Amino acid sequence: MEVKQGQITDGLLETGIIDTDIHERVLYPDLVPYLDNPWRRYITDCGWIQEKHLPYTQPTVAGLNRADAALPDGRPAGSDLAFLRSQLLDELNIRYGILTGALDPSPSSMNGWHEMATALASAYNDYQIEHWLEKDSRLYGSVHIAAQDPLAAAREIDRVGPHPKMVQVLLPIDNIVWGDPYYHPIFAAAERNNLVIAMHHNEPAVYFGRFPRYFIEWHTLISTAHMMQVTSFVFNGVFEKFPNLKLLMIEAGFTYVPHLMRKMDQQYRDLRHEVPWIKRLPSEIVREHIRFTTQPMEEFSKAEFEQWLDLLGSEEMVCFSSDYPHWDFDHPVGGFPNMRDSLRQKIFHDNALALYPKLPQDQGRCPRCSRSFASSPNCNQES
Amino acid sequence: MQQVVCKLTELQPGELKEIQFGRISLVIGRTGAGELFAFSNRCIHQGAPLSKGKLCGTSAPTDLPGQYSYVKEGEVLRCPWHGREFDVTAGGQMMSDPRRALGRFQIFVAGEDVVVSTLNKPEKGEVADEQK
Ligand code: FES
Repeated sequence: MEVKQGQITDGLLETGIIDTDIHERVLYPDLVPYLDNPWRRYITDCGWIQEKHLPYTQPTVAGLNRADAALPDGRPAGSDLAFLRSQLLDELNIRYGILTGALDPSPSSMNGWHEMATALASAYNDYQIEHWLEKDSRLYGSVHIAAQDPLAAAREIDRVGPHPKMVQVLLPIDNIVWGDPYYHPIFAAAERNNLVIAMHHNEPAVYFGRFPRYFIEWHTLISTAHMMQVTSFVFNGVFEKFPNLKLLMIEAGFTYVPHLMRKMDQQYRDLRHEVPWIKRLPSEIVREHIRFTTQPMEEFSKAEFEQWLDLLGSEEMVCFSSDYPHWDFDHPVGGFPNMRDSLRQKIFHDNALALYPKLPQDQGRCPRCSRSFASSPNCNQES
Repeated sequence: MQQVVCKLTELQPGELKEIQFGRISLVIGRTGAGELFAFSNRCIHQGAPLSKGKLCGTSAPTDLPGQYSYVKEGEVLRCPWHGREFDVTAGGQMMSDPRRALGRFQIFVAGEDVVVSTLNKPEKGEVADEQK
């Protein structure tokens, strides 16, 4: 299997790919120019850094990143747009890539000092717009917030959410379940700004608030942290209150979802009276409102992959994600079994296009001449 | 097909190198003890370029949970993406699933040259002899 640049388009996917999880790497010095005082001085004078918890950062030969994604000059993977362009966007023919940040700093995960978290989130957003979103037409962004202070978070969403290249609000998964009504001002702000809510785990302590002994246990159980969030959103009635809201669960794959939908449906049949604001089966709510990224993919045969989608009851719920440049990156060809062209089109492009109303909804075809951008590269995709 | 790929002096023990063998990219290298190996440069998992990985050792299988014993230094090729381990002294077997192995090529020394071949010669033992 020799994968060449453009093959995805030439042989597999005329539209190109939408990658729903690309981690640009941002360092504190990058944010300093975007911070007011005193926040700036806490970093430059006092050397403030955010607390980290994960005891293991060694999964593979370059730590948590692909070894071949480190920059030749020693800067960390994901920190240089030109390199990311050539290794990911050009190489794999990514039509649109959604930036999800390095989650470090992840303002919503700070255990205190929410004012600092709010300032960091704003700085991150301004930096992201100037250095990434406005530098490459393919890149779209995530609004970072300090969700611990939902009203301040909503103000930040209203401030940068209208930017044409911001497509979602990003929430980390750590030790807060976000479906609680206390956080609903965030979802109201996302809905009124036409933004998806996206969740990506940061460093959830998956063993009853503690970390397991080994990384292999933690990484295996990340989906349990995602299950908590999906359950919380469904039963707290987030989608009943915000009927236009969509949620993307990033980086726990999708194989846990059939079990969770079935389990929630069964519980609902028995316990509906406790959540009377829920008026239909949870699985229906999930199918309508929640999408799941492919990565990290288990290894599937073609038949197994289709069986799993059968269990989901929909081919529209799963969106390709690479997780570049992290160590468990999934390659859009090498990481997937063969599949029907129509299914490939959905998973690698159409499902994400339908999820994000702010992406140009042109199916990869020039609005003037109707030819595909792939077959007529002279058409201007930005027109 | 047979091709001179470099001088033996250009490939030191413990080193990995990417070479072009006809139209195929290969990863060649030498173990810490100097034994040559050559494999397809595409990882059998998702296709990562193995030459960007690491030649290292690993923790030996043990019956005692909690026991770490680092062995096989310079004999284990770890993939640059998901870190799967391949034993270059055992035909590129994946250490977590020995039924799977990297695509293997013959490699040997002829005079000062390192030669790669798809032919079934010489056998691995002979390669080691030639390097002595
Ligand atoms: S591509 Fe080599 S371990 Fe996954």
